[in-house]
Amino acid sequence: MMNSLQRVQPPVFQVEKVVIPEAKSFILNNGVPVFIIEAGTEDIMRVEFLFRAGQIKEYLPLLASTCNMMLSEGSQNYSAEELNRSLDYFGIFLNQTSEKDCAGIVLFFLNKHIEKVLELGREILFRPVFPEQELNSLMKKRLRWYMVNREKVQNLATDQFFESVCGKNHPYGYQILEKDFENITPSLLSDFHSKYYTPENMAVVISGKIHKKTAELLNSYFGNINSKKINNETSKNLIKGEKLKKIHINKTGTVQNAIRIGSATINKRHPDYPGLKILDSILGGYFGSRLMKNIREEKGYTYGISSSLSSLDLTGCKVISTEVGQKNCKKAIDEIYKEIKLLQNVPVKKEEMEVVRNYMTGEMVRMFDGPFALAESFRSVWEFGLDNTYYYRLAEKIKTIDPDEIIKLARAYYNIDDLYEITVGSE
Amino acid sequence: MINYKRFSLENGLRVLVHEDKSTPLVAMNILYDVGSRDEDPANTGLAHLFEHLMFGGSVNVPDYDTPLQLVGGENNAFTNNDITNYYLTIPSENIETGFWLESDRMLELDFSLKNLDIQRNVVIEEFNQRYLNQPYGDAILKLRPLAYKVHPYRWPTIGMDIDHIENTDLDHIRSFFFSHYAPNNAILALTGNIGYDQAFKLSQKWFGPIEKRTIPSRNLPVEPEQKEERILTVERDVPSTALYKVWHIGSRKNKDFYTLDLITDLLAGGESGRLHTKLVRGKKLFSEINAYLTADIDPGLLIVQGKLMKGVDIQDADESVNEVINGLLTENKIQDEMEKVKNKFESSTVFSNTSIMNKAANLSFCELLGDPGLINKEVDAYRNVSHAMVTESIERYFNPVNCSTINYISTRKEK
Repeated sequence: MMNSLQRVQPPVFQVEKVVIPEAKSFILNNGVPVFIIEAGTEDIMRVEFLFRAGQIKEYLPLLASTCNMMLSEGSQNYSAEELNRSLDYFGIFLNQTSEKDCAGIVLFFLNKHIEKVLELGREILFRPVFPEQELNSLMKKRLRWYMVNREKVQNLATDQFFESVCGKNHPYGYQILEKDFENITPSLLSDFHSKYYTPENMAVVISGKIHKKTAELLNSYFGNINSKKINNETSKNLIKGEKLKKIHINKTGTVQNAIRIGSATINKRHPDYPGLKILDSILGGYFGSRLMKNIREEKGYTYGISSSLSSLDLTGCKVISTEVGQKNCKKAIDEIYKEIKLLQNVPVKKEEMEVVRNYMTGEMVRMFDGPFALAESFRSVWEFGLDNTYYYRLAEKIKTIDPDEIIKLARAYYNIDDLYEITVGSE
Repeated sequence: MINYKRFSLENGLRVLVHEDKSTPLVAMNILYDVGSRDEDPANTGLAHLFEHLMFGGSVNVPDYDTPLQLVGGENNAFTNNDITNYYLTIPSENIETGFWLESDRMLELDFSLKNLDIQRNVVIEEFNQRYLNQPYGDAILKLRPLAYKVHPYRWPTIGMDIDHIENTDLDHIRSFFFSHYAPNNAILALTGNIGYDQAFKLSQKWFGPIEKRTIPSRNLPVEPEQKEERILTVERDVPSTALYKVWHIGSRKNKDFYTLDLITDLLAGGESGRLHTKLVRGKKLFSEINAYLTADIDPGLLIVQGKLMKGVDIQDADESVNEVINGLLTENKIQDEMEKVKNKFESSTVFSNTSIMNKAANLSFCELLGDPGLINKEVDAYRNVSHAMVTESIERYFNPVNCSTINYISTRKEK
């Protein structure tokens, strides 16, 4: 045969360089910081308005998320229906986001509609009227959604996990109850809105093929908004985990158990975080991770298992999540602890280090590819008062971390006695 | 406008290339023209199980994932009624590794019993996680056999019966591979930071030597026209009653496809859709409601599904859905709404095509439908829908005898 293509040996490859574009910034007349990231080939933009108005600020369960959802339920100049129709008519996509620390809106649009977007954005963010009728019907709907969600073992497990780790009275931790849906009133929403949806609490992140009048238009729509100067009592609740480390929630009629194992940990501001991120990847952060290989690809106990780190303003969390067949639940948990202990005691081999290094470098290339990914990556460090130096440190750590450091980190941050173990399902 | 070039190898592999220098990555999409419709009714779920086996190593490469991760790549796959689609993104310097891995698993899989046994379990857990352990998860399992009596769309991709997965063996697997996985039954799309010349050279090098295989011709039973309304009532311990209604429509290639797509957008395209404004906001009959097309290659379905608010009678909910649909027949205010959904379609197409991954998948699928250029024609096709076409389609398809309904009744007593 003429054809003797060599198929066993892989083609040569190189480890690519991560290029991190810098955002340009400027300040609106009223002091609001704006960050601009030029990227992409199409005439489209993404604008995110971000406020420190997440769950952490609420003094009643559901207040922050309801306030955010009600922003588009009617404003001084538009009814809810008019707002929705207008957004759809101009092909604008609106995402309302309410998280543990921040809340806000993201708008995706064709550049030619920028003025309409800013006009509607201002209505939504600064002129909502919180009509009672819309509120009542939203809360009834939310109660139905909630009841469906509480049927799912994975939701019950995640909710219990945050309660256990952050404490049952902390806004990061408390679980929503049916009666909470009755407590929200228009005046509570107005009050929350006027305290936290203010220029002092706000930042704007813009990415895409930037319209040349962006800065000027943004200033004319948002630069003259001033807040009513309300003093915000900032109570920084400390995170305090619950005492009970192991909880099983019985849910009859289920065929799989949800498992969550993890604890509070450091967040992005801590110098060890990039290293911990690499350790987390080795354990359960990608398809080739130890947990995936062992529990899915060798034993077939589950469709998927992962570990992840999340960074919050007041803490970080690490959690291993999976759903497994009932009969394998105990075995899966044992294997999870076994994998953690291995990382604490046996140095990771050179070959595996190389795979995780290169995979993570590839992930970093993806994190900075295109206007949407860039904006999200920017935002996720900006929230913590950090900048791209965080990513440079991560890229450097990916290159240089050695097996000894992995062992040190596994011992320092994965103390098995500190981990909470939540299971939900039939006995 | 998405520019692309197309070529075919001698073995029948079709290749599409779209260069986009603004990204450091390349997306590689391989579509195999095989889905759950190609399965033997006695051995369903095989196409999807096969997708899992494709990651278990091939004839020269014992492990698919590790070498890909080693060069910074990321991949996944999905199976549906019509196709099995594999995709990866990889930094452009290392794209040859993608060719190496994908061509080897097209050449021949490593048919190992150990891998089969494990992936069988993984798929059973996937079945449990998606369908059995979720409220309303079994609705779709009930819906297909209600709407289809003959055509293989009557079973879901995961399989008609999980026993089929339990009982399948290596012989089945091997014969499935050689009758469906072949260069002449696949479409390769490359998008991103790769030029035509490089794409051509690498395709020739890695896929060129794979021999053409004999693909059995597809001879699927045609679903007979539905002649009477079908209603199935199931009772479940769930928080809310739910309503599922489906109507038979034509193929993805049928001329009415864009009209029907536009109808589902008038009904449920975002917060301003009619079902939402009239039945969720207005009459408060539903907590959520949606309408969409299955977009299958053989004649598919238009689906409306919603969850009822507490205390709402399912007959009232059902009638009100029909009323909203029939309301589209009257001219009143409809032109503005048509313009609105057309604008939204255009903008969502632009957004979807900012991703090289989406572009690669869309190009492959358009090629399968017979014309990769379709990727640039869809907005116009959608824009050309008139109210007369909407009226005609509503009269043709939304006929009670063409409809199947599941009344998914909550048996839960609420305090």
